[in-house]
Amino acid sequence: MAIQAPGKRYGKRLEKSKVFGHGGVARRAMFADLLITPMVDMFVIIVLFLIANFSATGEVLMMTKDVQLPEAVNVREVEMVPVVMVSKDQVLVSGTVIGRVEDLSREDYLNIPSLEEKLREMKKQYEDLHSLAKDEAGGFKGDVNIQGDKDVTYKIMKRVMFSCATAGYNNINFAVMSAGSGKALEEKANSVSQ
Amino acid sequence: MAGGMDLGTGGKSKKKPLDATINLVPFIDLMAVTISFLIMTAVWTQIGRLQVSNSGGPTDPNQQEEKEKTLPLSLLITDKELRLSIGPTTDAPIPIVRDAKGRIELTKLEARIKEVRAQLPDQSAITLQPEDNVKYEDLVRIIDDCIGSGLPNVSVAAAMG
Repeated sequence: MAIQAPGKRYGKRLEKSKVFGHGGVARRAMFADLLITPMVDMFVIIVLFLIANFSATGEVLMMTKDVQLPEAVNVREVEMVPVVMVSKDQVLVSGTVIGRVEDLSREDYLNIPSLEEKLREMKKQYEDLHSLAKDEAGGFKGDVNIQGDKDVTYKIMKRVMFSCATAGYNNINFAVMSAGSGKALEEKANSVSQ
Repeated sequence: MAGGMDLGTGGKSKKKPLDATINLVPFIDLMAVTISFLIMTAVWTQIGRLQVSNSGGPTDPNQQEEKEKTLPLSLLITDKELRLSIGPTTDAPIPIVRDAKGRIELTKLEARIKEVRAQLPDQSAITLQPEDNVKYEDLVRIIDDCIGSGLPNVSVAAAMG
């Protein structure tokens, strides 16, 4: 039998009574230990996941509801260059509305004069800025991103592309949602070079 | 000295405990700030680019030698069929078949391009000639397929006639 402290001893029924017994009377500690280890583990995992997904280029293209990009697998990384947005309703350059798709599809011209003018202006700005800064390495390369809705017809895209080319933007890139791994093209390029 | 090792520094000198408690509070603060920053700057949509060139641009003089080993390859795209032209010869048209999601099935075109690539290993360029009513999604899918089949230099031109 266990050794017990002297004093009154109550029966089993009253052993845990708040009045007679000692079971329910004990004070709870005011300070509870917070389990830090699992929290720190979780933080480390979250930080590692976010760093792995971190993109240094940032958000180059502004995604809107009007533009649903088509999907592609063999893609390259997007660069910070001027963006021509072609939605179902309108054509925009850097947020400025150039024209309505409905009007553009009615016309039979090969180019879009207002788009051409805007792009020429942007090209001039870029060149002036870099010549002032005497930055010879960052010369004008003529890159442009076309962010087109997947339902737009080639008739509109053709005019946009022609306008870009005549304004001096010859390196045309189509912005797409990458459906597979981004490394697909690099792997393919490596295998071709070997 | 729970868990610490006694180094036996002598009886007179006071023994310093070897167990050090790391202060986790600044570490957790740093973590919280880093997580907030990374979540705010995270880009969740994976966007890529497909590089195309306008047909009829200036040609690289270094490519003149390679021209003998390659043939001008062009693909006419209509809303019903695809016609691949290899040099002067034109293949039988490939009818456009769509899957349940409305995407073009390109297995036949892919197989044909691979055959061409086997005959002309140096071939890397193709010119696409879509008609006006071809959807941009279909064009992108065909460009993607051409790049995936080993023709990275894709040019886009307007269909003639």
